[in-house]
Amino acid sequence: MDPSGIFPTSYRADRRLVRTRWQAVCLALFLVVMLAMPYLVSGRIIAVLNMMLISAVIAVGLQICTGYAGQINLGQAAFMGVGAYTASILASKTGLTFLLTIPLAGFAAALFGFLFGLTATRIKGFYLALTTLAAQFIFHFAVLNLPSSWLGGSNGVTVPAAEIFGLRFVTETQQFYMNLAVAAIMIAGAFGIIRSRFGRAFIAVRDDDVAAGIMGINVAATKANAFLIGAFYAGVGGALWAYMIRFVGVDQFTLFHSIFFVAMIIVGGMGSIVGALVGVFVIRTIQEVIATVGPNIADSVSFLGGDIVFAGMNVILGGVIALFMILEPKGVMHRWNILKSSYRIWPFPY
Amino acid sequence: MVYFINDIITGALIGLLYALVAMGFVVIYRASKVFNFAQGELVIIGGFIVWFTTMQLGLSLWLSIPLSLVLAGLVGYLIERIFLTKLIGESVFSMVMVTVGLLILLRGVVLLLFGASVRPFPIIFPLKPLFLGDMLIPMNLLIGGIITIVAAVGLSWFFNRTRSGLRMTAVAEDHVVAASMGISVKGSIAFAWILGAILSTIGAMIFLSGKSLTFLASDIGFAALPVALFAGLESIGGLVLAGIIIGVIQSLTTNYLDPIIGGSLGSVVPYIIMLAILLIRPTGLFGWRTIERV
Repeated sequence: MDPSGIFPTSYRADRRLVRTRWQAVCLALFLVVMLAMPYLVSGRIIAVLNMMLISAVIAVGLQICTGYAGQINLGQAAFMGVGAYTASILASKTGLTFLLTIPLAGFAAALFGFLFGLTATRIKGFYLALTTLAAQFIFHFAVLNLPSSWLGGSNGVTVPAAEIFGLRFVTETQQFYMNLAVAAIMIAGAFGIIRSRFGRAFIAVRDDDVAAGIMGINVAATKANAFLIGAFYAGVGGALWAYMIRFVGVDQFTLFHSIFFVAMIIVGGMGSIVGALVGVFVIRTIQEVIATVGPNIADSVSFLGGDIVFAGMNVILGGVIALFMILEPKGVMHRWNILKSSYRIWPFPY
Repeated sequence: MVYFINDIITGALIGLLYALVAMGFVVIYRASKVFNFAQGELVIIGGFIVWFTTMQLGLSLWLSIPLSLVLAGLVGYLIERIFLTKLIGESVFSMVMVTVGLLILLRGVVLLLFGASVRPFPIIFPLKPLFLGDMLIPMNLLIGGIITIVAAVGLSWFFNRTRSGLRMTAVAEDHVVAASMGISVKGSIAFAWILGAILSTIGAMIFLSGKSLTFLASDIGFAALPVALFAGLESIGGLVLAGIIIGVIQSLTTNYLDPIIGGSLGSVVPYIIMLAILLIRPTGLFGWRTIERV
C-alpha cells in the first residue's frame, strides 16, 4: 500500500509490476544470482534448487486456481501426473523434442483439469474439494489399470533425456538452466494473467461470486478457466519433473503431494504469486532439512525406526498447515506487506 | 444363483461398514458444520488404541473395548480443543484445510509413535463365518451391520427428536446464529468429535477384527466418503440405504465386471458414483437442500 497522497496518474503506472527503483535493482540482482548459482554452490544444492523450481511452477498454478480464483484444489498432483505421463510417453514413443512435449503436457493436463473444473461451475466449498479428490483417485486408477503398454502400469515409464541440437540435458546444472528458463517464463506469465481481465475476474469470483455475476462476469467460465490454467501449470511442472527424474511412476503423484502443494501456498500466502514462491522455498527447505537430519535422529533414537523422514514431514507439514490456518490464514506475505507498508508510511499510521 | 445372492449380501454388509465409518463424517458435520477429511486417520488411531490395550497391556476384551472407546473419545476431544475451537465462525476454506492438515499430521504422529510395521489385530468377533445353506457370511461384518443399523436408528432419533440433538443441528446451520440463540457451539463441536472418534473406533474393530493392522486401513475413510455424500451429508438414517446400495454395486462390479475387463474397477466405482452424485444431485438422497449453485 502506498502512503496517502501517492497514487498512479495513468493506467499503465497502476499496472506496473516493478514500482520502485529498489525493486528493479533487487529483481535484477536476484536473476543474476540465480543465473550464477551453479558456480556458487555445490551439486547437492543445485538438485534441491531444481526441485524448488519445478515445485514453483506447480505451486504458482495452484495459487492462481486456489489463491486468486478461490477454487479449492486437492488434485494438483494428479494434474502434474497427467503432464508428466504425457511428456514421457510423447518423448519415449514419438521422440518429439522437449520444446513441444512440455507445452503439450501442459495442454493435456489443462484438458484433464478443465473436466474437473466443469464441476466447479455447479458446486463449491468442500464439495469441490471432494471432486478434486476424486480426480486424484481416478488418475491413480487409470494409470494402474489401463493396459501396461500404454502407461506402463505399476512399472512406470522411463523418459529419455531432453535434447536439442545434439545437446543433452543430463547433468544437474544443465537441467537447472532448463528448469530456470521454463519457470521464469511461467512465473512471468502468471504475473501477466493475474493483472489481466482474467485475473481481475478470478479475484472478483473469489471475493463474491454472486456480485461478480451481477457485474457481468461469466462466473462458470471463470471457474473452469481457473482450473484450466492451474492444471496447465501443473502439467508443465510435471513434464519438467519427468525430464529431471527420467522416470515416471504413479507413486510420485499422490494425495500427499497435492497436500504438500497446498501447504506451500498456505504458508506463503493465498493470493500472491511471490507468496507461492516463498512457500515453495520454505516447505522444500524444511523437507530437505528433515531428509538430511532425519536418518541421524533415527540412528540415535532407535525406537522410531526408518520411517522418520516421511513421518516427520507429515507431522511438520500438517502442523504448519493447521497453525497457519489458525494463527495467520493470509500467510507470510501478508505479514511482510504489513511490515513494508508501515515502514513506508512511518511515522504516520496511514 | 447362490453365489450371486451371497455376493449381494456380502456387498450389503461391507456397505454397512462403510456406512458406520461415514457416520463419523456425518455426526461431525451434523453437529459442527466441519467436513472432516481425517476420518480414515481416526479409524487408524482407533485401531491402534484397541491394539495397544489388548495386545500390549494384555487386558481382556471386556475391559479393553470400553477403555479403548473412552481413550478414543479423549483423542477426539483433544483434537477439537487444539485445532477446531479456534476456528469457530471462520470460512469453510479454513475448516477444510485444517482437517486436510490433520490428515497428514495424525498419520505422521501415529507413524512416529507406533512405527510402520504390520501388527496382528485382536480377534474381537468370532472368525467362523455363518453358513446359510450354501452361503457364507463373515461374522464380523454381520455383527457390524447390526451395530450400524442400531447406531443409525439411535443417532437419528437423537439428532431429530431430542432437545440437545436439535441444538446441535442448529450449530450445523450457522455457528453465529446458534451462538446468539444461546447454544454452546464449543460444546456441540466437542461432543461431535468425541462421538466421531468413538464411531471410528467401533468401525476399526469391525473392519480389522482378526486381520492385520497397517496404514492401508485408513483408505476406508476415503471409501466411506461416497456413502456419506450419497446419503446427503446431514442424514444419518439415509446412510444405511446409501451404504447398502454402494456396497452391493461395488461387490457386483468386483465379482462380475472385473474378470471381464481384467482390472480393479471395483475399487474405483464408489468414486465414480461420488462424481456422478456431485454433478447430478450434490445434496444426495436425503440431504438438506441448501447447496448454492452459483
